Amino acid sequence: MRLLIFVLLSALGTSGQAAPTARQLKLLTVNCLQCHANIHTGAPVIGDSKAWQPILAKGKQQIMTHVVEGLRGMPPLGYCSACSEGDLITLSEILAGEALQETPR
Amino acid sequence: MKRRQFLRGTGALGATGAFALLGGCEQSSTEPQSPIAYEPGKPVPWINWAGNQSCQPQHRPAPASIDELVSVLKNAKGTVRAVGAGHSFSAVVPTDDTLIATDLLSGVIDHDPATNTAQVLSGTRLHDLGYLLADIGQALPNMPDMAYLALGGAIVNCAHATGVNFGSMGSYVNSLRLATVDGELLECSASSNPDIFKAALTSAGALGIVTDFTLQNQADFDLTEVNKIEPLEDMLEDIENRKANNQYFELFALPHASVGISVSTNPAQPGDKAQGQDDPQAVNTLRDVFNAIAWIPGVGSRLYDTLLTAVMGNEAETIRTGKAHEVLPHVRVVRFREMEYTVPAELGPACLREIMATIRNKNLPLSFPIEYRYVKADDIWLSMFQGQDGATISIHQYGDLDYRPIFAELEPIFWRYGGRPHWGKLHTLKASDLAALYPNHWRDFLAVRESLDPDKRLMNAHLKELFGA
Repeated sequence: MRLLIFVLLSALGTSGQAAPTARQLKLLTVNCLQCHANIHTGAPVIGDSKAWQPILAKGKQQIMTHVVEGLRGMPPLGYCSACSEGDLITLSEILAGEALQETPR
Repeated sequence: MKRRQFLRGTGALGATGAFALLGGCEQSSTEPQSPIAYEPGKPVPWINWAGNQSCQPQHRPAPASIDELVSVLKNAKGTVRAVGAGHSFSAVVPTDDTLIATDLLSGVIDHDPATNTAQVLSGTRLHDLGYLLADIGQALPNMPDMAYLALGGAIVNCAHATGVNFGSMGSYVNSLRLATVDGELLECSASSNPDIFKAALTSAGALGIVTDFTLQNQADFDLTEVNKIEPLEDMLEDIENRKANNQYFELFALPHASVGISVSTNPAQPGDKAQGQDDPQAVNTLRDVFNAIAWIPGVGSRLYDTLLTAVMGNEAETIRTGKAHEVLPHVRVVRFREMEYTVPAELGPACLREIMATIRNKNLPLSFPIEYRYVKADDIWLSMFQGQDGATISIHQYGDLDYRPIFAELEPIFWRYGGRPHWGKLHTLKASDLAALYPNHWRDFLAVRESLDPDKRLMNAHLKELFGA
């Protein structure tokens, strides 16, 4: 699993996303990956671009509303009490594999 | 059509009201999913996992080292609280002044293979900790049934698992370091600051922020968990055998049904094989069954039992085997709100029976399973298990339903059995009530609190109610 994450993170920057900081990567591993790297939770798995497309289609504001407020199994703030809005956007883009778009598709 | 789709469709028929003949027994969605709205471009609010607590702190530091934490705490403005994973249901976290996030204080600092001890930062999530300890050949002796918690929040709010020979998580702490509001870092153990040690282990964060714990672990081990649907009364009649003959035993009672689910976990044996899969949506299946038939007049527990057994059979009768840190916790993705009380172990079955009878007799609209566990006595001053073996009973309600009416009906039952509420879960007790439940050390705790934080900088509104400050 950790090798998979390394490979996925190595591919960052190829889809228009800003490179995450070391701090953000720690927030990712402490919080996000417990569900988004676990196929048994029902959460879209990091790097599964097909699973992320319907979510990305909602556009940045709705995605962020769901990230901050929570939605069904997605906990508010993704469990990350240390995260700023910018952190949450970056972490969402890492998980989804591409930049969040302002306009819904 | 899938089973759940059918059930949801049937439930929707009842929810229209045309056939809602069991007055008082419908479950209707009344609770907003979020207590506070996201506003783009503004500081994000803090919201707990259950979505029933929130705040908008002016300052939100996230120290990445113990030195930084001590400095942040010393210079913090206003009421200061700390947060781990935010999994507490009670208002132990909210502050609109300074909220210190411990997400970055994560990992194992040191360990000793000879004694199976490990020094672990308090922000470490339990889901990480299992793997971190496995890497050094160690394991926690027991774990709660879900691993989303941060170690610090879990211990200071007296999280626990099940097993008559296993205490709360604080029972496995050899020592800790406590950062005080004055910027001191206190070493605490049975021999160093022993009073602060006994107070801090269950303190709801009222004494300072614990930076790290030295845990008494054991060698890494494997377990097998067997889940079965059984008549609840059979389990309660046989409870002494279940407790004695299983390393960890718990059960789930299903409101309005006579069946429940037993969970028996023991050291893995050669040849143990997994069977079925843990279904994180199982409680939604229960809800669907309940909604599908609750509106039908004359439905009794026999039909409900039959349906539950048929619908849940494959999902509830499972075997899970593997490393302890992979078997003990479960995926919990359906949001809920929870009230939990600990009653003296010998009174547990009677208390559970009274709760089940009350739900049935008053036709309370509750379908979420009630969790029933045992925990060994300890001598942590404000632990729910201080001086007595405990039976813990947890009442849950779905996150989109108003939990208050049902909790208000059931909470007085716990009081009649001398129940002590879980510090991280919902209850309505105040300082005077709690003082009576902790006759041995309540005043000792308050004295330690006063000595460490005389200006009440760590006391939010909820903690002031709890401790009468």
